[in-house]
Amino acid sequence: MGRRRVGRPTLPTSTGRWSAAGLWLRWSWRDLKARWIQVAAIALVIALGTGSYAGLSSVTKWRRASTDDGYARLNMHDLRVELAQGSTVPEGALLEVARELGGGGVVDQAEERLVVPIQVDASTEERAILVPGSIYGVNVSDSGPGVDGLFVDLGRELTDDDVGKPVALLERHFGKYYDLPPTGTLEISGGQRIDYAGQTLTPEYFLVTTDRGGLIAEANFAALFTSLATAQQLTGREGLVNDLVLTVVPGSDRDALKAELTGLLAVRFPAVGATVTTREEDPAFKIIDADIDGDQQIYDIFAVLIFAGAVVAAFNLIARIVESQRREIGVAMVLGVPPARIAIRPLLVAAEIALLGVVFGVGVGVLLGQAMVSVLKDFSPLPAWHTDFQWGVFFTVGAIGFLFPFLATTWPVWRAVRVPPVQAIQSGYRAARGGGLAPLFRWVRVPGNTFAQVPVRNVVRAPRRSFLTSLGIAAAIAALVAFVGLIDSFLATIDRGEREILSANPDRLEVDLDRPYALDSEVVRVIRESPLVDQVEPQLRLGSVALKDGEDFGLQVQVLALDSTVWAPRLTAGAVDREQQGIYLSELAARNLGVRVGDSLTLRHPRLEATGTFSLVETELTVLGLHQHPFRFVAYMDSNQAGLFNLAGTTNLLEVVPVEGPTRDDMKRALFPLPGVVSAQGVSEVSEVIDDLLSEFVVLLRVIEGALLVLALLIAFNSASINMDERAREHATMFAFGVRVRTVLRMAVVENLILGIMATIAGVVAGWLLLRAIIAIRIPSTLPDLEVIPVISPTTLAISVFLGVLAVALAPLLTVRKLRRMDVPATLKVVE
Amino acid sequence: MIELEHVTRAYGEGPHQVRALDDISATIAEGEFVVVLGPSGSGKTTLLNIIGALDTPTSGTVRVAGQDITTASRGQLFAVRRRTVSFIFQGFNLFPGLTARENVQFAIDACGRKGGASADEVLESVGLTVQARQFPHQLSGGEQQRVAIARALATGNPVLLADEPTGELDFQTGVRILELLQKQSGPGRAVIVVTHNRQIARAADRVIELSSGRISSDGPPQGGKANVADLYW
Repeated sequence: MGRRRVGRPTLPTSTGRWSAAGLWLRWSWRDLKARWIQVAAIALVIALGTGSYAGLSSVTKWRRASTDDGYARLNMHDLRVELAQGSTVPEGALLEVARELGGGGVVDQAEERLVVPIQVDASTEERAILVPGSIYGVNVSDSGPGVDGLFVDLGRELTDDDVGKPVALLERHFGKYYDLPPTGTLEISGGQRIDYAGQTLTPEYFLVTTDRGGLIAEANFAALFTSLATAQQLTGREGLVNDLVLTVVPGSDRDALKAELTGLLAVRFPAVGATVTTREEDPAFKIIDADIDGDQQIYDIFAVLIFAGAVVAAFNLIARIVESQRREIGVAMVLGVPPARIAIRPLLVAAEIALLGVVFGVGVGVLLGQAMVSVLKDFSPLPAWHTDFQWGVFFTVGAIGFLFPFLATTWPVWRAVRVPPVQAIQSGYRAARGGGLAPLFRWVRVPGNTFAQVPVRNVVRAPRRSFLTSLGIAAAIAALVAFVGLIDSFLATIDRGEREILSANPDRLEVDLDRPYALDSEVVRVIRESPLVDQVEPQLRLGSVALKDGEDFGLQVQVLALDSTVWAPRLTAGAVDREQQGIYLSELAARNLGVRVGDSLTLRHPRLEATGTFSLVETELTVLGLHQHPFRFVAYMDSNQAGLFNLAGTTNLLEVVPVEGPTRDDMKRALFPLPGVVSAQGVSEVSEVIDDLLSEFVVLLRVIEGALLVLALLIAFNSASINMDERAREHATMFAFGVRVRTVLRMAVVENLILGIMATIAGVVAGWLLLRAIIAIRIPSTLPDLEVIPVISPTTLAISVFLGVLAVALAPLLTVRKLRRMDVPATLKVVE
Repeated sequence: MIELEHVTRAYGEGPHQVRALDDISATIAEGEFVVVLGPSGSGKTTLLNIIGALDTPTSGTVRVAGQDITTASRGQLFAVRRRTVSFIFQGFNLFPGLTARENVQFAIDACGRKGGASADEVLESVGLTVQARQFPHQLSGGEQQRVAIARALATGNPVLLADEPTGELDFQTGVRILELLQKQSGPGRAVIVVTHNRQIARAADRVIELSSGRISSDGPPQGGKANVADLYW
């Protein structure tokens, strides 16, 4: 008998390995197919997470790239000099100062401008469009201006041929808001007519803001750009300028240059107040810059919440799959297959689900990104939008979208392959799982028969599943509450300001004058005596800066009679004292400065000099009270204190109460032609426009709300579907006892209702806390002038309750087909 | 009480068709304790499912408590299960989230029975007074099956169907369960037990033996009805 050679088992050949890999893949694919509805639901949850995060993060990249490109292409200024209101210097004087900067050689380009407030009448046949604005006299030679250039979106550029002629370019946001034709004719202060040859974008107006705190103010502010000579002629300031924009060579310290320039200006023009700002201090630049970063932070938070939902859903399903494969795992153990290899199959399932979700997510991300950018392009036009596919973003987010749900599934798999084989292969009642927390709740009885007890017991019987399901739904609701709550809070802030402004004579108008006029001047007399006017309250409004312990920010100080019957601010602290020199601040301003009623602060404010120009001086003032307006920059002083500005007996702002009958447009048309009038606006117009512009976002908000609704529904459906699977034998037993399908469904609905209530409470609380955190962290950096108080509107709350309670409760109804088609005899025999 | 006339249950079509039951005819009267005996695949569970209105025959007629369930609607089949038949399963199929008492009460609620024995009384009748507030996972296999029997009895339905009721149990426990089931047959009630265990068949009044979907024998157990205490397996 020949000897048989016995050797060590050979390692699998590469063909064998591929064959084994193919088997695992096929097997896991069959597992997927067996639960394809649940798999699709989880893949969609992951897709929503990855897609929305990747899509929105792409938008951040696009916004950043497109605005940076806009700033570069139009050579936005590094430093800007603005002379105090009404002050001018001879052309060339500011350039001379610029040339001295840094000992020369630091300035790359510098251009003088003349910027004058005007009233613009762009009325069409359909509507009266009478708004305040500014006319910018700039260099138009050689496709100029060279600094803060103009990108002509519609119409043509200005050239040397236009110098001295009444031709201008209209700021694009304004033209777009009112859907004005590309070219046309406007009327400006003093009844002068000017043609606009096109509509233009420029960095200072990538976001339209006004020095009165107007934000996204395109409806209420029109900027016109024309040649310096034309502006000088139209405003009667021949040979004069009041504004300088300059760029410096790369690597220069802007802050140091700003300080140096401020010093040079003080020496050169001691009687003229001048403010120097850096690019970073430009309101539009600052808000856009902070907004892009702030939005990304919010996307990060929402992504975490959505991924949490995806992780929970994936965990639940894989845990269920592993549970249903318990005996197969046991058999594999008995056959000596190492645990690591047994784990391959469920892990492959998890990997395939996560991969499927990420692949779907790319589609969701592309669609969402395109939808968002199309809204943004419309809302915020730029010279060019760069919307390249963001490979890096999609790759990173895709990796996160794959890894997190996948890693979440390793826990149940690890647990499953660690049980002793004998336990894994047990069948029948020996394999039955315990009752979870049900024994603790045996004394808790809800009214009704045993059908009413079953849902409660089912919730507590699988506490981990119940907790994770609630967590997933709560995450979606928290995202919804925080997201919509942000809008609610913003709108509530606007409403709060509106309530304060409209607390008396809500139909009144604010009439701005181009400079302070004596109270008995012609313009004031004409307005006072107009048959359309009932009452006139002369006031002053002056741009100032509040300073205290290193903190400083701009204020618009309104000087008015604090006992006025036309309108007066309502105080939340302190009391009106018309005789004491002092100031009334907003609560936010007081908080930011760290002052209370009775404390003092320094006000840097303009003062009329004997030369007729304004200088900036600093005065120590007592805080006499706090008012209700949510804008930080709104401050009040009594008209008895106008001497502080050397403006006693003068006015540059008239509060006009019309007689009954004329409309707001009638009033505007009547006041507009008067010499000296810069603007006439209803006091409620700012908030009306913001409401109007926000309504453009409502569709997008509804899309995001819808996505979050789908997300919560998917998680709830997934959980309901898994529960139905897991309880199939119980349901079959119920059917064997003649319990109707609708009764079984009712029990499932009640079970989900309990989960939904728990999840909604948790979600609303988490969303509220998240909203508070976002407002506390984000608003001070993005909108420091706005006091936003977190608010969740009843509508948001109702949607959340609908989402979390009703929609989640009804999710089991989606499984009715499965229940009705159940093979009862086969299910009764199922051995798990 | 139960009449089967030329009952056939086929699965599949054409050459792949399999007949789980093939032209079965039988009548079971009230008071009978019947054992349906046969090896795996003989069709005994299919027969039980058809009597229990869980399945419908491909052809033939089935009448349970006077009602033709062959032509019954889905709703009527549910009603038959609520008011005519009660099941006892091999794997017990108790509701894990409910206590023993609640499991029994569930059956009372399901059938909508008013009056009659309470859940506690039924549990007492199977000797489980002390365990009434225990959850299934806190009970032994025998106790669980007794709860399952109590649940079936609580409905008060005239037909008791048990599918391999001792299959999961050890011998001693199985004997006690069988004894309990045997006691349930009597006036107004028939008990049908499906098993592959010939020893159990010895305790029956009547044994219907199936082979390949056909009745191979129908009558009293060979050697006469044995006392449960004399059984062994």
